[in-house]
Amino acid sequence: MMNRRNFIKNTGLQLTVPFLINGLDIFAQANSPFVSGMDPFDDKILVLIQMNGGNDGLNMVIPIDQYAGLMRVRSNIALPETKVLKLRDNLGLHSRMTGLATLFKEEKLGVLQSVGYPNQNRSHFRSTDIWNSASTSNDYINTGWIGRFLDSRYPGFPEKYPSADYPDPFALTIGSTVSQTCEGASGNFGIAVSDPKNLRALAENDKENFDSISYGEELKYLQNSILQTNAYSKLIQKASEKGKNIATYPTNNSLATQLKSIALLISGGLKSKVYIARIGGFDTHANQTIASDNTTGTHAGLLAGLSSAIEAFQKDIELLGLSNRVIGMTYSEFGRQIQSNNSGGTDHGNAAPLFLFGSCVQGKITGENVQISNPLSAQAGVPMQIDFRNIYGSILVDWFGVKESEVKQLIFNDFVKLPIIKNCQTSTPVREVLLPMFVALSPNPTWGPINIHLQSVGGDCHLHLMNGQGQTIKQQKWNGMFAGEQNLQLDVSDLSNGIYFVHLRQGLQHKTLQVVLQR
Amino acid sequence: MIAIENENSGASLNPYAGKWGKGEALHLLRRTTIGPNQESMNKVLSKGLRKTLDLLLEDQPEITPPVNYIFENDPFVPMGNSWVDAPYNDTQDSINYRRSSLRAWNAEIMLNEGISIREKITLFWHNHFPIDLGTVSDPKYMYDYIRLLRTNGLKNFKNLVYLITTNPAMLRYLNGNQNAKGAPNENFARELLELFTIGKGPIAGPGDYTNYTEVDIKEMAKALTGWTDQGYYSKTATTIKSSFSVSRHDSTTKQLSPRFDSLKISNENENEYKTVINIIFSKPEVARHICRKLYRYFVYYKISDDVERNIIEPLASQFIAEKYEIKPILRTLLSSEHFFDISNRGTMIKNPIDFSLGLLKQTQYQLPSDNNKRSLSLQAIIRNIGGQQMEYFYPPDVSGWKAYYQEPSFYRIWINATTLNARMNYTNTLAGTGVTYNTIKYQIDVLKFIGTMKKVKDPNLLIKELGEFFFPFGLTDNQISDLKTLILPGSPDYEWEEQYEAYLKNPTSVIIKTALENKVRNLIKAMLTMPENYLS
Repeated sequence: MMNRRNFIKNTGLQLTVPFLINGLDIFAQANSPFVSGMDPFDDKILVLIQMNGGNDGLNMVIPIDQYAGLMRVRSNIALPETKVLKLRDNLGLHSRMTGLATLFKEEKLGVLQSVGYPNQNRSHFRSTDIWNSASTSNDYINTGWIGRFLDSRYPGFPEKYPSADYPDPFALTIGSTVSQTCEGASGNFGIAVSDPKNLRALAENDKENFDSISYGEELKYLQNSILQTNAYSKLIQKASEKGKNIATYPTNNSLATQLKSIALLISGGLKSKVYIARIGGFDTHANQTIASDNTTGTHAGLLAGLSSAIEAFQKDIELLGLSNRVIGMTYSEFGRQIQSNNSGGTDHGNAAPLFLFGSCVQGKITGENVQISNPLSAQAGVPMQIDFRNIYGSILVDWFGVKESEVKQLIFNDFVKLPIIKNCQTSTPVREVLLPMFVALSPNPTWGPINIHLQSVGGDCHLHLMNGQGQTIKQQKWNGMFAGEQNLQLDVSDLSNGIYFVHLRQGLQHKTLQVVLQR
Repeated sequence: MIAIENENSGASLNPYAGKWGKGEALHLLRRTTIGPNQESMNKVLSKGLRKTLDLLLEDQPEITPPVNYIFENDPFVPMGNSWVDAPYNDTQDSINYRRSSLRAWNAEIMLNEGISIREKITLFWHNHFPIDLGTVSDPKYMYDYIRLLRTNGLKNFKNLVYLITTNPAMLRYLNGNQNAKGAPNENFARELLELFTIGKGPIAGPGDYTNYTEVDIKEMAKALTGWTDQGYYSKTATTIKSSFSVSRHDSTTKQLSPRFDSLKISNENENEYKTVINIIFSKPEVARHICRKLYRYFVYYKISDDVERNIIEPLASQFIAEKYEIKPILRTLLSSEHFFDISNRGTMIKNPIDFSLGLLKQTQYQLPSDNNKRSLSLQAIIRNIGGQQMEYFYPPDVSGWKAYYQEPSFYRIWINATTLNARMNYTNTLAGTGVTYNTIKYQIDVLKFIGTMKKVKDPNLLIKELGEFFFPFGLTDNQISDLKTLILPGSPDYEWEEQYEAYLKNPTSVIIKTALENKVRNLIKAMLTMPENYLS
C-alpha cells in the first residue's frame, strides 16, 4: 500500500502545499505582480494563435512509446519513428518543427497534452465558439473569454473609450476581421488591422481598380473618412512608425507576417493587451501527408510554418528587449481521430496538444502521453486530460493578475490554477507542478463495477467518464475529500460494451485512464 | 427624340439599349426607390427597363391620413381615428402626439412603398420646397403640405409652384401670410426666384443676378400680397386653409426689370400670383435650373460642360416642350445611356434616410403588428436617423439639405465623424445583437434575410450575391475571401452547407441556430460597415 510520503520521494519532484495565513492564499499572493507594486495590467501581453480547422495533434506532439499503436492505426500518415524530434525519451515533435524543438531546449515552450473539454462537440462552428467563449459544451455564451476579462477591467466600453488613460485599442487582430475571443457584452474589444504599415490596404492587391471612375473617387473619400474617424488609426500608425523588427522572419508564411506586425506594434509602444493571429487549413480530412514521405505534405507544411513563425517571433521579442512582457498560446477547435482514414487524412476528434511559448512560460511538458489502446473504439479521439478553461484561467491569474475567485466568475466555477506560467520578475524556481494522480482501476476489463483506488491530496475531486468520442457519459464530484488513500466506486453496467476513459481531477493532480467494459 | 448629335460628347440622353441585368436593375431601383429588396429586384429584372419605368411612374392611390395610435387623452380624436381634421385641445401633449404620429406615418409610407418613384420624388420636392416642422410647428399644416407634395409631385411642375405659393404651411414658413399691402415681406418672393424656379445667375451688377434683380423680388412680393392661412392651432376649426383678402392686396401695377422684359403686372387679385409664376416660367432657365436639381438628385453632383450641354440642355428643352410635365423628363433621364453609364453608377453617397430606412427595406424588416407598438418603433427609428443629421420635416433651412447644393462637397457632407459613428452604430445594432426599447426589440432577422438569396448554400456565391445586392460594384475576390473567414474561419467550404442544412433540419435548436446566426450577423455587420455600403 503506497503511502503519501513514499509517493513524494519516488516521484523525485518538489511539492509544496500552499498554506493559508489569515485567510489569504499567500502562495498566490507571492506570485502576483501586485506584491511587486507594479500595475499588473500595464504591460503584460498575450498573443493568441488560432489554428483553424482542427489540428491533428497526434502527428504534432508524438508519443514515441506508442509507436506500435500509431503504426497499427495510422500507418498511412504516421512519421517514421526515427524522424521524430525528441523532447524527451518518449515524446517528440513533428520532424518539421525544429524551431519549437529549439525553444523547448531553451525552456521557452510549454507543451500541454490532451487539452479539451467535457462533452466534445465535433462541429467546427460550435467547438470554435466553445473555445472562444469558454462556455460548457451545452451552453451558448455570446461573449468571448478575453472580452469578459476586459469587461471586468474596463467598464463603460465602448462608449468611454478611447480615453485619456486608455488611448490604445485593448486587443488587436492582424487581419480584416475581429476575433470572437474579444467580444464583450457591449462590443468587441478588438480592432482588426490587416497591415499596420498601410491602414488603407483593404484590398490592395485586387485586380479590380475603381480609380478611373467616379465611384472610385467617392470610395476613396469614404475610406479616408472612416480611417480618420477610427480613433485608433493615428495611434497604430505612430506605433508602426516608431516600432521595428530585428529578427528575420520566414517569407511566404502568413503566420510569420502576422507575428511580425505584432512584434512591430509592441516595440512601437502600442499598449494593446491581446494580439490575435490566425491560420487555417488544419481540417485535413484527406491527403494530409505525401504518401511517399509522411514527413512532408499539407499538415507538415502547416506545422513547419507554425514552428518557424513562432521561433522568429520569439527571437524578435528577445532582441527587442520584450521577453518579460510577451507570452503566446496556440489553440485549435479540436484534435483529430486517433485512427486515420482511407483518404490519407483524419477526421474530427477530441483533445489535442496546446503550446505556450515565451520566456515567462513554464518550459516543460504537462500531462501524460496519449495511450493508443487495442482495439480502439469507433471514431476514437484523444481523451481529455486538461480542461482548456483551466489554461485560460491560469493565464488570467498568473499573467494578468486576476484574482482566482474572479476567474471562477469569468471562466468557470470549478477552475483550478495550473502551474504553466512562471514569474519573470524574480528568479523564483518552480514552486508547484501539475502532478499525475496515482490512480488504479480494477477490475480492468470490467463487467460492470469499477473500483477506483487513488491517493487523495484532499479537496474536491471530479470524475468524468468519457467515451472514445469525447462524450461525457457520467460525471461525479466528491466535495472536500479527505487526503490519503481513497476507494471510490463506479458502476458502468448500464452502458454498452466498449472502451471508456475515466478522467479524475483533484487540485493539481489529474489522470485519465482507459477502462474496458466487457461482459 | 431629344438627343443632340455631337461628336465631342460623351454624355447622351439616347435611350439605353444595353444589357439588362442585376446591375442595371439594382442601379435603377437604388436611385428611384428606397432600399430595393430581392423581390423588387427580381420583378424589375423580368419586366425590363421600359415596363419598370411605367411601374415607377404609375400614379399611386392616395394615402390614408395618419391615425392616432398612441395618445388616449385627446377629446377630439379617440385612438384609432385620424387627427388631420380635428381641432386642438389645450394641452401640449395633445399637440405633440400628432407630430409623432405624422412622422411615424410618413416613415411607414416609405417603408411600405413598392416599386414606385413617389417617395423619392416626394423627398426631392420636400428638399426643393423646404418647410420646417420646427418653425411651422402645427402638424396639421405639415400634413397638408406633404400631402400636396405627394399628390402632385409627379404631375405638373408649374402647377406645383402655383399650389405651393398659396399653401398654408408655406405662407407661414416664408411669411407669405405677413406679406400685405403697405407692409411687403420679400421672403417668399426671393426664395421663389432664387431657389424654387429660376435660380440665381452670375452677379451682373449691384442687385442684378442675371436671371432676375432685386427689383423683381420687390415687385413680385407686392404681387403676391393678400394671402393668409386659417386654422393655425385652432381649437375650433377642423380643416386648415388659405384665403385671399382684397384689402391686404397691393393693387398697384408692378414693374419688373429688364431681366423679365420690363413687363408690367396689373392687378388681378387672387389670380395675380399665377401671372407672376407664368412670367417667371417664360424663361428657359427655369427648366434648366430644375433639370440640374433633378440631375444632382438622381444621377451625380458633378455637372460638367459636357453634361450641361448634352443632358441638362436637351432635358430642359423637353421639359418646356412638355409644358413642365414631370413624368416625361424623368422617363427620358432614367432611361438614358447616360444614366446607365458605368461612370455614373455607385457615385452617390446615400442620404441618412436612404441608408437607414433602406436597410430595413432591403432586409424586409418586420415592424410590430400592434398599431401602438408599430408607431413607437417608427419613432425610435426616426430618432436614430436624426443622429445621422437628416430628419424628414426638419430641413436645416430654406435651401434644403446642404448635400444637395453645397459646392464642392455635395453628398460628401453627409459624412463626418459624428454621422459615420451614428451610421455604424445603427447597422451594428440592427444586424448584431439588436436593442430593446420599451419592450420592443429591434433586430434584423439575418437568417431569414440570407434565406432569400439564391446561392445561400455556397459560402463564396452567397457572399458574392450579397455583395451584388448591397454594393454598386459588388465585391472583389479578395474581399469575398476575407469576408468568408467570418462564417468559415479556416474550414473547408462544404462545412457551411452542412451547418446551414443542420439549421434547416433543426430550426428550433437554439444551439445550432445561435452558432449559425452569430456568424451570419458578423458577416452582415462587416458588410454594412464597408465604405461600399455608403454608395448607391
